[in-house]
Amino acid sequence: MDTLTALRLANPKLSRFSPMSRIIAFDDFDDGFCGYTHLVGNYEHTLDAMLPGYAQHTHPQLSNLANWESGTHGAFDGNYALKIQTRPHRGAQNVALKRLTFREPGPIRLEFYFTFKPEANELRLSETDVRSVGFLYDLQTGYEEGGTRVMPHVRFLNALDGKHVQKWQTKSRTTAFRPLGTEGKTVTHYHLAPTDWEDLKNGEQKLCYNEIPTKVNWHYVRYDFDLRTMRAMSLQCNDRHWDMSGVDPIVIPAMRNLWCMLNICFFAEADSDKRAFFYLDSVCLSGEFA
Amino acid sequence: MMRQCVTAVVSRNELWSGKAASEPYECGWAGEAIVWLRCLGAVKGKPGAAKVRVQISPDGMRWVDEGTKFRFPAKEGAIVHARLTNFGNFLRVVADMPKGASAKVLLTLTLKE
Repeated sequence: MDTLTALRLANPKLSRFSPMSRIIAFDDFDDGFCGYTHLVGNYEHTLDAMLPGYAQHTHPQLSNLANWESGTHGAFDGNYALKIQTRPHRGAQNVALKRLTFREPGPIRLEFYFTFKPEANELRLSETDVRSVGFLYDLQTGYEEGGTRVMPHVRFLNALDGKHVQKWQTKSRTTAFRPLGTEGKTVTHYHLAPTDWEDLKNGEQKLCYNEIPTKVNWHYVRYDFDLRTMRAMSLQCNDRHWDMSGVDPIVIPAMRNLWCMLNICFFAEADSDKRAFFYLDSVCLSGEFA
Repeated sequence: MMRQCVTAVVSRNELWSGKAASEPYECGWAGEAIVWLRCLGAVKGKPGAAKVRVQISPDGMRWVDEGTKFRFPAKEGAIVHARLTNFGNFLRVVADMPKGASAKVLLTLTLKE
């Protein structure tokens, strides 16, 4: 074992991650929001111009997973997790993100520990009330590279129309761009529209859900992506692994303001008229560069 | 450690009418909060007659009045605020808007350890 690996394995906070050689960001939400904020939609002159899909977003929260009948659940470690909470209606979404740029186009690895539940306002399992939880990168090449904006999307489709689906999906298309306002500087599109999700091959996965809506278990995700080829490499969730090399991300023309953008977004969707809660204990973003 | 301080926009450009309520916000990590309610316009009727109340909750689902009340900011650009401590883990703001009254709001929490 090399020294770097040994040092990381000896650090209890990092030992449960398998980062590439450079840690770009290690965000443990016991330390605060760590740069995660909510995705506010684009607008010009008036907030009324914001698309409804974005207007519904609210600020993430620091949660200790407090329950009405059992008290505080706590996070994977420490007390707090980042909570992304939807509004209480079917199809509602919310998105939290961290906005970075990259300094070298190469392989990056996103790892995080997560769980999800609906608001526990019924005395039943409620396993089909959360539609999905997922993540995406919002990326753009450096301006010398010809210019594409690339948005790989991944979600765990937990339930749809009341059916407990439990499978991973990806997306390679977004909606048409719409100009906003009158200055010709701002456009918008709705990449989290419910359309165009595609099943990941062999993407079914039975995640531990536990037996009442106030008990959670934490899950691990690892997602490898290459910023040079702008293609996904692999996905892991708990004990299951997928080759993602054949999965196309959303690719759209570059925008003039977004060079080298590296945004990490997490989102939740409700499948019933209950709030969906997507909890992140910690997130580690690492890369392979000198 | 430096104290954490976070600004959370809880309701943005929402049209409040009837029995309006902000989404529950979990913030037990904070020892103090300032609630800011700003009128963004689209004023109809007489929203200024509405009493705005701060509510707290043991679980984010069952709500009781915290005791703080203020008048709804009835003109575009008007802003009201209230300082809070000892609010537990969950906060929200409710308003009983008079019949026919509505306005767009921006509800912001300034939270500090």
